[in-house]
Amino acid sequence: MSDTDDTSSFDPVTVFEPTEQDLRSGSDDCYKCSTCDSVCPVAAVDSSFPGPKFQGPEQWRLTRKEDTEIDDSIMGCSNCMRCDGACPSSVPLSQMHNTARGAYVEQQRFASDAVAALRSGAFRRAASIVRDGVADFRERIRNRLLANYYTAGRFASKLPRVANAATNFGPTRWLLERVLGITSERSFPSFATQTFREWWADRGGSHVENPDKRVAYFHGCYANYNTPAVGKAMVRVFESFEYEVLVPQQRCSGTPMFANGRLDDAKRHAETNVESLAEAIADGAAVIASCTSCSMALREEYPELFDIDDIDAVSEHTYESLEYLRHNEDLDAVLSESSGDAEEYVYHAPCHARNQGLERQAVELFSSVDGVTIEDVGDSCSGISGTYGWKTEKYDNSMAIGDPMFTEMEAAAGEQGMTECPTCAMQMSHGTGYSITHPLELLADILTDDPSASSDR
Amino acid sequence: MDTKTEVLVIGGGSTGCGIARDLAMRGVAVTLVERGTLTDGTTGRMHGLLHSGGRYAVSDQESAAECITENRILREIAHHCVEPTGGLFVSKPGDSEEYFERKLSGCAACDIPTERLSGEQARAVEPYLAHDVERAIRVPDAAIDPFRLCVANAAAAREHGARIETHAEVTDLLLDGDRVVGVELAHENDTGQSVPTERIEAEHVVNATGAWAGQIGAMAGVDIAVRPSKGAMTVMNCRQVDTVINRCRPKGDADIIVPHETACILGTTDVEVDDPDDVPESQWEVESMIETLSELVPILDGARTLRSFWGVRPLYEPPETKTSDPTDITRQFFLLDHADRDGLAGLTSIVGGKLTTYRLMAERISDHICERLGVDAVCRTADVALPGSDNPMRLEDAMASFDLRSPIARRSIQRLGSRSSSVLSIDEPNPVICSCEAVTRAEVEDALSEVGTDLNAVRIRTRASMGNCQGCFCAHRMAALLHPDHTVETVRSSLDALYEERWRGQRHALWGEQLSQAMLTRFLHATTMNRAHSQTASSESIAFERFDGGDDRGD
Ligand SMILES: Cc1cc2nc3c(=O)[nH]c(=O)nc-3n(C[C@H](O)[C@H](O)[C@H](O)COP(=O)(O)OP(=O)(O)OC[C@H]3O[C@@H](n4cnc5c(N)ncnc54)[C@H](O)[C@@H]3O)c2cc1C
Ligand code: SF4
Ligand code: SF4
Repeated sequence: MSDTDDTSSFDPVTVFEPTEQDLRSGSDDCYKCSTCDSVCPVAAVDSSFPGPKFQGPEQWRLTRKEDTEIDDSIMGCSNCMRCDGACPSSVPLSQMHNTARGAYVEQQRFASDAVAALRSGAFRRAASIVRDGVADFRERIRNRLLANYYTAGRFASKLPRVANAATNFGPTRWLLERVLGITSERSFPSFATQTFREWWADRGGSHVENPDKRVAYFHGCYANYNTPAVGKAMVRVFESFEYEVLVPQQRCSGTPMFANGRLDDAKRHAETNVESLAEAIADGAAVIASCTSCSMALREEYPELFDIDDIDAVSEHTYESLEYLRHNEDLDAVLSESSGDAEEYVYHAPCHARNQGLERQAVELFSSVDGVTIEDVGDSCSGISGTYGWKTEKYDNSMAIGDPMFTEMEAAAGEQGMTECPTCAMQMSHGTGYSITHPLELLADILTDDPSASSDR
Repeated sequence: MDTKTEVLVIGGGSTGCGIARDLAMRGVAVTLVERGTLTDGTTGRMHGLLHSGGRYAVSDQESAAECITENRILREIAHHCVEPTGGLFVSKPGDSEEYFERKLSGCAACDIPTERLSGEQARAVEPYLAHDVERAIRVPDAAIDPFRLCVANAAAAREHGARIETHAEVTDLLLDGDRVVGVELAHENDTGQSVPTERIEAEHVVNATGAWAGQIGAMAGVDIAVRPSKGAMTVMNCRQVDTVINRCRPKGDADIIVPHETACILGTTDVEVDDPDDVPESQWEVESMIETLSELVPILDGARTLRSFWGVRPLYEPPETKTSDPTDITRQFFLLDHADRDGLAGLTSIVGGKLTTYRLMAERISDHICERLGVDAVCRTADVALPGSDNPMRLEDAMASFDLRSPIARRSIQRLGSRSSSVLSIDEPNPVICSCEAVTRAEVEDALSEVGTDLNAVRIRTRASMGNCQGCFCAHRMAALLHPDHTVETVRSSLDALYEERWRGQRHALWGEQLSQAMLTRFLHATTMNRAHSQTASSESIAFERFDGGDDRGD
């Protein structure tokens, strides 16, 4: 800052491209009440995690244009979004975390910096960039792998049996743990022998044609590769109400990518999704998802993070599947007339369902069904938060966060778990050994008694 | 109590602190007295712009040339007080193109480097600039922290043997015939009460009380016609811009936005007042300023304001000038040698000027006084770095060594400069006390070690309580650090003084989010902390042990 004769020495360093989001003004809404900190499940078990208030409004407000660095604690956030839902003042916490995480991961891409430093002759700097980079390398590769479950799923389902055997094969797990930091405590979800989309194609697509009642199903990765039964149940339920179901082209919703700061991967996938879902919307369909994180991504995270044509239309027309039915059909009337197999369910509401205001819907819906009892296990977080609980260094935190839920589940009468979220389901069964159903599966069983359908499961 | 000194400086603003440092470095024995904390006057209520001179390049080229010279010097000697933001003079449709060109050529004439930008280029620098900004001039404006600057000057003076007395008001000048021979002071103690006066004898007295200079003059029967002019400023919660934004037109109110630390300061106005201690403050001034500046940066409209404050310019003009509009009064400074002017020896006053040129003003007046005292020493203030700006530490090194989260380390180091290591390297845990401004306990304790119990003095040194909660969540934590070294009464009165000051600034910008904040603060403090009907304010002591076992009404 010495040479004032040359205006270039006054150049503010432009780090943010002008078009890029600057969230400093998001801190205007924060009055520091700490409600967000008090609901953060990670902060509750990990004293080194500074909490959402710091991660979000504080960190953004303290940022200046020339600051390129983002505090590494951002990677401690599990992206459960409980803070986002709890803030009484609508601070865009989730958007702040996702954007900061994206910037953090971007800045970790050291290779190009190192090459630039080498070119300019700064050898020591290049060496130090590489040194720091290698230390993070493992974590980055691992996070990238976890974030791109879509790709992994696509390969695995080509040869599902081999994949199932290989991923849960002792030595493979040992390697994954040692080399990549993917915990060997958990067993990998198994891949279905027939994906949802394969089944859909075999079946010849929709059995109903109805230009007045159309839904476009966003199955996401998990219902496609791992639990097609959920997708099939959804089809049965919606067809029983005379809906024409469309299954548009789609890729990953982006949820695991947001959580790992891979915003540009997420954006590429989002572009495909938005384009094909917007087409379906133009054909009169509403978008429904059976996974609460997928619906969350489409309706909230997309417009917060990306600028893609029609993204707002997709956001406005997306619903969680049960939510949509409850809005548009008199489900309660139908259900109070019906009965199900006598079964006691313990229900956990996923954090992302909570953020969309859907945490009570399964309980409200099924409590009127004869024979079925359903008990809510309370408002704690399951602790897995998608990919978070799969990371070796986060495993213990993940289980500590899940502990109150496990305890409540065990204290409850039933031994059959229920939740909308596939990773919460993993955690519930990992902690208690219970098997876990999706509300759509129970609903399908109650509404339709087509025995051939249940063998789809 | 009687003491002696060579030179007594009245006024702990930038001018007084600068003079104390300059004289002390020349080996003169100096005492500086200030009635409040340092920067209690105009210096603590200014806009924070380290002028490039661009602003005066058309109207007053002498000032402009002084500004750019001093701007360059301060970047060197006070870099922990200066943020080299750069500045833009921007033109909107209708703003004179001819004036824009004169600005450019004026800058060239004063050796102020410039760069001409198109509207688009300007928006590439500052994305939130209005879409119809047509062109801009880039100049080396910067943001300066007046608090840190004064404190560093006072610290340097002290290192060179000066005595710095705050909370000491000059109540009278001591005269011996037609000669000023000293002052009479009233000290104030920790809890705000006055204690017996002190008389300080001095060979020379410097009146550096800015807008209050007339009052000091009156004590010796001389007339100093300061024309105090008030200006309003509003602090926004966050930085909408990272560059100083000026409107490129001849003159006007509300035409500058200065990014300052975590905030942006909008300003200012220019209205003559009678009494610098009684400045009328009203909300419409704030509203109209936001409205006007939104023309340059539209997102200001509706953005959160933290507080607003009013400063009083110590404008002066020689008695015969009689300018009617205060904006036309010169920003030059004047050295009044009362021996020549009024036949009163031993007293010199300095009035007018601006913060940017404080060092130059101090140099001129110190030259003058040294000549009077027969001291033969040259000024070195432009060549020696201020405490905190010597030996700059590499940010990256510092961040790693203090074990602080990166934004906290960044802001701490920016404030502490080369003192970072000595302040932040401690063996104990170092929690954040003020989370809005990222101020840690170590920094607050360091400030306390310098100022005793005055939490407002801690505030100006550290920025603790200056962020968006305005003290709601940190003021009591700051006060708690005073205990048990100080009595409960002292802790309470220090806390009250800090609250009082925080509240004062919020009054006129109280809507939207800041209104919610103020209500939250009120309820937390009045109810949760029981400061509304405090049993603790009475003499009865609280039975703390009753809380020890927790709540026994169930689990
Ligand atoms: C609204 C506004 C915006 C400004 N913006 C800028 C800017 O952006 N850039 C810039 O360079 N300049 C700016 N200035 C000008 C600049 O702030 C002042 O010129 C400068 O701060 C004056 O400092 P000072 O030390 O002379 O006066 P002061 O800071 O007022 O110091 C005088 C001190 O004397 C003390 N005092 C008074 N009476 C007594 C007594 N009896 N005993 C003991 N102490 C006493 C007072 O408490 C006070 O602290 C601005 C001014 C105003 C009003
Ligand atoms: S809950 Fe919202 S307002 Fe409260 S501290 Fe967190 S972000 Fe700020
Ligand atoms: S998203 Fe969840 S884990 Fe992350 S900060 Fe918010 S509450 Fe904590």
